[in-house]
Amino acid sequence: MSARIRGYSPFTEIEEVGDGLFRLNMGPQHPISGQGRFIVLTDGERVFDIEMDIGYSHRGIEKILEYKTFVQGIVPVERMVMLDTSNILMGYVGAVEKVLGIEPPPRANYIRTIVMEINRILSHLYALGLLSESAAWNPAVFLWTTADREPFLDLLEMLTGARWSYSFFVPGGVRADIPRGFVERLRKTLDWFEKRIEVYEEAWIYNELFRMRTEGMGVVSRQQAIEWGLAGPNLRASGVPYDTRKNEPYAAYGELDFKIVTHNAGDSYARGWARVEEMKVSVDIIRQALDNMPEGPVKTRMPPRPKPGEAFFRVETGRGEMNVYIVSDGKEKPYRVKISPASFRNFFAIEMLPKTQEILLADVPVLIYSFDPWFLDADR
Amino acid sequence: MLSEDIVSQIKEVLGEAVLELKSPEDKRIFLKVPSERVLEIANRLKDEFGFDMPISAGGTDYPKKNVIELFWIIWHSEMNKVLILKCEVDRENPEVDSLTKVWPGVQKFERETWELLGVNYKGHPRLKPLLLPEDWTEGYPLRKDFDLKPYRSKWGEKY
Repeated sequence: MSARIRGYSPFTEIEEVGDGLFRLNMGPQHPISGQGRFIVLTDGERVFDIEMDIGYSHRGIEKILEYKTFVQGIVPVERMVMLDTSNILMGYVGAVEKVLGIEPPPRANYIRTIVMEINRILSHLYALGLLSESAAWNPAVFLWTTADREPFLDLLEMLTGARWSYSFFVPGGVRADIPRGFVERLRKTLDWFEKRIEVYEEAWIYNELFRMRTEGMGVVSRQQAIEWGLAGPNLRASGVPYDTRKNEPYAAYGELDFKIVTHNAGDSYARGWARVEEMKVSVDIIRQALDNMPEGPVKTRMPPRPKPGEAFFRVETGRGEMNVYIVSDGKEKPYRVKISPASFRNFFAIEMLPKTQEILLADVPVLIYSFDPWFLDADR
Repeated sequence: MLSEDIVSQIKEVLGEAVLELKSPEDKRIFLKVPSERVLEIANRLKDEFGFDMPISAGGTDYPKKNVIELFWIIWHSEMNKVLILKCEVDRENPEVDSLTKVWPGVQKFERETWELLGVNYKGHPRLKPLLLPEDWTEGYPLRKDFDLKPYRSKWGEKY
């Protein structure tokens, strides 16, 4: 016998399942849920199970790609994550380049690196904004991070012609060279942005209230992070020094000198902190790439057909490692593309956490946003 | 340790269970084994070789050969190598042992492959729809005989 009662919010539905337990639906139209649904099993205070119900925006991108040529595939792939399009696209383009057996020219690699790091900053800013909102720091930090994305979006518009989903990377290079005035403007923006990071740290990330809210909550140990296959800043916040940019360098990352941000705590605070630190690293990487940028062409010719074979390519997106596995049968279209995005792996950790430690209902939004979830990414 | 050394060690330890083993480039090891022995071999790869972090799993449909080729992609966190473990199952009755007990992180990937390719993972804790609607009855979308054309026409002929 289960009685259905309406919760306090028009979006939340509660179902009683017996033993004083309730099944609480957060989503798919809940303010905190995004395009997915969390099914939370709770007794009103303690959470016993979180189930991530995804697939509300499943577009079948893997299947669609089998019907597209390698270049046409760019368009569906980069719509997986609108905030982080170029990092996602790099995964696909890098795998295609491996299948085709071509190498982009050095200058293209540097331009790619700059665009990808700008995208990482954009992605992390949004993630930090949402984390602050979920921890009830809404009025200030979320608006700051949203406003601070604008100068970078303007820069990308100057370079690529669009604010997002710009299809800027193609197999064999990038579509265009850097326009006049771009480098100076980017350097100025970076100088300004470094000061903004200090503001975030002072007002928010090192603030005692925020630390009290997040420290020691949702701890993922190093062992668990590896077993569950966690990705990205979440993995590094649990003390695993894995960064695809360092471990398997692609684009120009092999020629640049930067550090991997790690934290040993593995709690929600560490995951937020890691993102702030990574923005500093990104600023550093962009500066180095601007200093060391070689001259030359930005695109090579692309053969229409690959040799039959398979390629596996890993890339570090804003949310973590994404890997693309392409099987080719020698035609101009791929035979099979398997994309494993970062959020898909991070969601599994969210499901496992309440089984290993005490999570309270009030912690759920903070917990989930500390992992920086993105449903379109996981749904494909 | 070099990829070649691991390759020769795997060959030595697994013996005739190895159907195909190659390392076309550094940090990538492709290993193909019989589908009946996947679970046993996965356990040995984890315990004896230390491949510990699951990063992907899935499958590819080959209607001409009448098989579905499954793969699990595992990263070695100390040696920084990627192992692509493969096996072939019959297309009519695809069934294989689930590797969730060895690497818990493959759970969602196996669930997705079960849904989109129709592969039955024995011993999987949670085989239920993930990405598709719960009342989906129109087949397995990632199989090659699933045609997208009827779905496209809804949105216009131009795609």
